[in-house]
Amino acid sequence: MLAHGRRWFVLALGLAAAASAGCKKDAPPPAQEEASAPAPAPAAEFSVSSIEVGRGIGSDKRIATPVTTFKPKDTIYVSVATEGAAASKTIAARWTFEDGQVVKEGRETIAPTGPAATEFHIAKPSGWPAGKYKVEISVDGAPAGSKDFEVK
Amino acid sequence: MADTRKPKADFSDVESGSSSTAPEAPAGGRTYTVVKGDSLSKIAKRFYGDAQQWRRIYEANRDQIQNADLIHPGQTLRVPEA
Repeated sequence: MLAHGRRWFVLALGLAAAASAGCKKDAPPPAQEEASAPAPAPAAEFSVSSIEVGRGIGSDKRIATPVTTFKPKDTIYVSVATEGAAASKTIAARWTFEDGQVVKEGRETIAPTGPAATEFHIAKPSGWPAGKYKVEISVDGAPAGSKDFEVK
Repeated sequence: MADTRKPKADFSDVESGSSSTAPEAPAGGRTYTVVKGDSLSKIAKRFYGDAQQWRRIYEANRDQIQNADLIHPGQTLRVPEA
């Protein structure tokens, strides 16, 4: 009899506990451990990786066959390959003749997100005077390299 | 006596262009290509209506202008917004 009564008592206690739990306000879910995202890889610093001159460029703005000697009627290309990302970089090309005359200057302001190629080209319908030329490349005004070439 | 000096080459008809695989950065200002007879004061007068503003153009192009009194036809200058 006693054992039977105790069983009821335990059962009642259990029910009371369950009811009490059911009346509790919804507790906030336990804070989940923040997923630790892998740290983003640092963006590669912008830099010029190569400068090539040639008679033509591909759709990738690169020169397949670099040359340093041109004919008077050639269009002359310079391709500037760069690495890294930047919100804004101004690449400038300054073409000069052997006597120091500025032949032409051009600039491209780009927002690269990775490796890129930027081309500049010059043409002279009446023909290039024979002689030595130079193209100087700068990035935001700072010299980044140059290439010498000749027209024969 | 014959003048043996090489005549100065004429590059006034040079055509140029450029392009990139990278996206173009948002433009900040305008550009102007110098023509014969230009000076920074003249360009300032044209864009700002005030020749005294030449220094703004000079400062924006310090990378390519060493001497404010010496700019060359064909140079492409940045002209900051008024």
